[in-house]
Amino acid sequence: MGAAGSKLEKALGDQFPEGERYFGLENFGNTCYCNSVLQTLYFCVPFREQLLEYYSNNKSPADVDENLLTCLADLFSQISSQKRKTGVIAPKRFVQRLRKQNEIFRSYMHQDAHEFLNYLLNELVDILEKDAHTSKSNQESSSPSEKIDNGPNEMSVNGPQNELIVTWVHKNFQGILTNETRCLRCETVTARDETFLDLSLDIEQNSSITSCLKNFSSTETLNAEDKFFCDECCSLQEAQKRMKIKKPPHILVIHLKRFKFIEQMGRYKKLSYRVVFPHELRLSNTVEDADAEYSLFAVVVHVGSGPNHGHYVSLVKSHNHWLFFDDENVETIEESAVQTFFGAAQEYSSNTDHGYILFYERLVCS
Amino acid sequence: MPPVCFRSGNDAVSSMSRHSQRGRGGRDEGRDCYGVAYSPQISLSTSSVKEIEVPSSALEISMMQHVGSAGNTSNSLRPRKEKKLTYVLNGADDTKHCAGINCLCLLKSLGQDEFDYLFTGSRDGTLKRWALAEDAAAWSATFESHVDWVNDAVLTGSNTLVSCSSDTTVKAWNLLSDGTCIRTFRQHSDYVTCLAAAEKNSNIVASGGLGGEVFIWDLEAALAPLSKSNHAAEDECSNNANSLESSLPSNSLRPINLSDNSSQKATQSQGYVPIAAKGHKESVYALAVNDQGTLLVSGGTEKVVRVWDPRTGIKTMKLRGHTDNIRALLLDSTGRFCLSGSSDSMIRLWDLGQQRCVHSYAVHTDSIWALASNPTFSHVYSGGRDLSLYLTDLSTRESVLICTEEHPILQLGLHDDGVWVATSDSSVHRWPAEPHNPLKVFQKGGSFLAGNLSFSRARVSLEGSTPVPVYREPSVSIPGIPGIVQHEILNNKRHVLTKDTTGSVKLWDISRGVVIENYGEVSFAQKKEELFEMVSIPSWYSVDSRLGSLSVHLETPQCFSAEMYSADLNIAGKPEDDKVNLARETLKGLLAHWLTKRKRRLGSQASPNGGIPSGKDMSTRTTCLSRVEVDGNAENDSTVHPPFEFSAASPPSVITEGSHGGPWRKKITELDGTEDEKDFPWWVLDCVLNNRLPPRENTKCSFYLHPCEGSTLQIIKQGKLSAPRILRIHKVVNYVVEKMVLDKPLDSMNVDETFSPGMPGGQILPPVGDTSLLPGLKPRQNLKPSIEILCNNQVLSPDMSLATSGAGMVMDDLKTGNGIWLRSYFVHVKFVGIVHSSGNACCDHKIIVPLRKSWKPIRCQI
Repeated sequence: MGAAGSKLEKALGDQFPEGERYFGLENFGNTCYCNSVLQTLYFCVPFREQLLEYYSNNKSPADVDENLLTCLADLFSQISSQKRKTGVIAPKRFVQRLRKQNEIFRSYMHQDAHEFLNYLLNELVDILEKDAHTSKSNQESSSPSEKIDNGPNEMSVNGPQNELIVTWVHKNFQGILTNETRCLRCETVTARDETFLDLSLDIEQNSSITSCLKNFSSTETLNAEDKFFCDECCSLQEAQKRMKIKKPPHILVIHLKRFKFIEQMGRYKKLSYRVVFPHELRLSNTVEDADAEYSLFAVVVHVGSGPNHGHYVSLVKSHNHWLFFDDENVETIEESAVQTFFGAAQEYSSNTDHGYILFYERLVCS
Repeated sequence: MPPVCFRSGNDAVSSMSRHSQRGRGGRDEGRDCYGVAYSPQISLSTSSVKEIEVPSSALEISMMQHVGSAGNTSNSLRPRKEKKLTYVLNGADDTKHCAGINCLCLLKSLGQDEFDYLFTGSRDGTLKRWALAEDAAAWSATFESHVDWVNDAVLTGSNTLVSCSSDTTVKAWNLLSDGTCIRTFRQHSDYVTCLAAAEKNSNIVASGGLGGEVFIWDLEAALAPLSKSNHAAEDECSNNANSLESSLPSNSLRPINLSDNSSQKATQSQGYVPIAAKGHKESVYALAVNDQGTLLVSGGTEKVVRVWDPRTGIKTMKLRGHTDNIRALLLDSTGRFCLSGSSDSMIRLWDLGQQRCVHSYAVHTDSIWALASNPTFSHVYSGGRDLSLYLTDLSTRESVLICTEEHPILQLGLHDDGVWVATSDSSVHRWPAEPHNPLKVFQKGGSFLAGNLSFSRARVSLEGSTPVPVYREPSVSIPGIPGIVQHEILNNKRHVLTKDTTGSVKLWDISRGVVIENYGEVSFAQKKEELFEMVSIPSWYSVDSRLGSLSVHLETPQCFSAEMYSADLNIAGKPEDDKVNLARETLKGLLAHWLTKRKRRLGSQASPNGGIPSGKDMSTRTTCLSRVEVDGNAENDSTVHPPFEFSAASPPSVITEGSHGGPWRKKITELDGTEDEKDFPWWVLDCVLNNRLPPRENTKCSFYLHPCEGSTLQIIKQGKLSAPRILRIHKVVNYVVEKMVLDKPLDSMNVDETFSPGMPGGQILPPVGDTSLLPGLKPRQNLKPSIEILCNNQVLSPDMSLATSGAGMVMDDLKTGNGIWLRSYFVHVKFVGIVHSSGNACCDHKIIVPLRKSWKPIRCQI
């Protein structure tokens, strides 16, 4: 392992970024789903920084119960405070905690990386919200204007109280979708907003993220037996419904629905479709006039031809280098190699490494 | 406060009861014990408190009930098992529409001295005919048969009005009749949205609808006498009607609607099949036919104008250009030019010869829903969602704002020197618009040049100056009644609070079909809160307001789940705990006219023409029953109690499905007695003729009685009890007393004389049938000092019903929570304390009996 580390160090040479650590994560038996996602989150720099900041602010383990957030913070801080630049770390506490908390992840079965990411983010949000509540009620008596302790730009202080606490997890990952329904009779538009932490897209063979996003926002007609009850018309009418992105998130997580339930077979099938994901992505299906621009910084890759077995690895862009994380192993790869993970143009291809979860960071508008 | 409804009680428990035994037997068994099973008195047993039953098994079965969040789900398109019966509470004035006007058409006078007529078709489901004078319009007929919105209407031939509706039918009417529907065509499978008729070749009518269906009808052929196969059916119904006519005193009946009748029976002439114009992938919202009937254009959500040969149904071309739904189309008389109005807010002029768009006019600021052109096709009138009526010169592109309506414009009709405007409001206006001399309007100034790109460009060309309407006031107005736009079923399940388009809030009694209180323009939500009553009655009907008035839907067996004590409804002359079934009484009220007419018809005929089984003896029995005579023999009681008498002045209309005629609609006063099993759902007839109600499960409620901790009295040790959900708490008290009496030496328990404890073994003198007894007063008053019942440490009023006492706590929880709940529901009654008041010689126990519920709310995932 030390050799692997030094090999990576040699490969990067004096280009090795200052203060950065590239550590592999040990596999405890089918925990690659977890390792691949943890690596992408670690190299999601704003997320990592805020988590470490939270960690340093809450470093009183005596009164804080162990939870997924503290375990994750602990792990990230362990990695970042390593003396060596490369190596392997065992995310033992985190995985133990995860298994303790959620029985889905308890078995040694192969798990879905997207499900894990989703669970983890929601869990973090829950913990932060709970924290904010308790600290708020604690502080209310003494100094109500005081900031809550988990972040430098805590919005929940001046934001609406209780229900709508915006944690730093929200601020990184949360976007708002708006569901517009237009009655075709009176043409009144009813809009309903919903928040999301990631977008799950249906995919097609030989398509691109842009076209998948377009399909995502395409108009659906509610008709025949599935008419819309229009409050204006007080009756069932035809309606057109579409999803638009009202607030693009800072970190856009796109989940490609590669695992499709095939009814005839009664089981899931992996779709190895070739779906091009560009390094620079432009979101055009937004409510706002200006397109939101994004840059790709991490990919969770599913390796294998079936849904119930296989392997997860991740590609991460750090300081303009692309790195390949495969459990304990860390290597550098060429940027051009990323396109080998788009998928297969033919159904039975030897290429079984397919991009599964894409992480884009929004470029700051000029 | 969300509407809360309960289905409490359970099978295991109530299987002890007679009700459910009968119910379980099914229809056939019920027939054997004809007329006895569901009489209101049947639950009166030897003792009034015997309504409380001790079940043999204490098996707990929880009933789950979905509590809906709003009343809006009532008219879903899900297939139903049984036909439902709907009644529409018509507005007080038959001469006014009570919902938006979707369409209008005009008939020029046929003779010198005759009127011009305007026909309007409304979202209230009716069409009306108006006789037009110089500056007035008078109601002259209502065409009632559609059961959903009337979407479009055209005049064709010399005397036929054709209408189409969201009820998926196209109907033909005799246009100068009193509302005679000649024929109903059921070719469409979804809403029929639009019609078009050829002016000169006047037999050709095209109908278009959702799902892309377009049919071309040769009305002459379609309305021709029915083919051989249908003769029998028609003969039969005309016989019926004739015999009825002859058998009834002429003064007692309105003219018999013979042809309407036949239209219901012979659903459509099977000999005639219209030409289908196939090719639309999506819904059609607009149609137009040229004068000769040689060209048909259609438009819809596909955003293209399709051109057809209506004689063959073959598509000749497709015109692209619009970017949204096409809502209005016009063809000039030659069929060379076509005008289209779209939701993209553009009017386009197409040259069909060149197959291209020759002009586009950006005049409106929102969707265009209506177009009309002057006879020479040089100018177009347009109206739409932006409330504005514009006149545009097609060649000079000069445009002028004629007027601004208060509601979106749905259709236009040119008439002499004016234009009739139909909007989503229930009134119709005529504006002076000079169709024969459009230049006159332009001379009044204020015109501008229409843009030719999108609206955004047009706005620039206007440079922010909003055009000023030429006319401020319409020259003629036909007023309507404000339609109901919001409704809420109140807790007592008899009253419905409504709000209309003017913001007026009213309280309806749906079992009488009348407004009982008009609150004026007040806050609906606040009024709803004010009227909140702590009662729990199961939901027995659903309501919608799509016709601008309340439609009440009754479905079996749910509608029979609600009962009330006669005393609470102020029905006089009934025993204290006489219960009435709300749906049964409502059905009796609705069909009172029908029953009378039917009775007369059957009675006057030597041999009834073999209509309904047991129908005849039914009706003869009902004749001898008058209200005074009502006593224990209630099985055939057709008396309509005052709380269920529908207004004769504005009678509701009944909507239901015939067995082969599709849904139909008639005022209850116009039912002629010939409607039979085929026309009404069987369960309705079973109820009003045979007095049989379907098996019900949920009129009972279960609870426990337990002695309290530390109680000195060891009484009532038993499992779960079951009783009608409307049982009063004072009855529970009586029951407790009775139990104590039975278990204790008699001398220590002298409760009171009305409730005198009899011999052990339940031989207690029943206060039943004692008409001198004022309902529910004496026993309660006498017992009141003795026993109190508590529920969750609150004393329950003796008047409160068992179900309400349990429901109250549920409601408290619902108030704090939000969302939709699934609940399992139980009421536990438990003794917690017995206090001796030693001073009294009569043992005056104060018993505190709290009701405790152990229900568990489960958040329902949607």
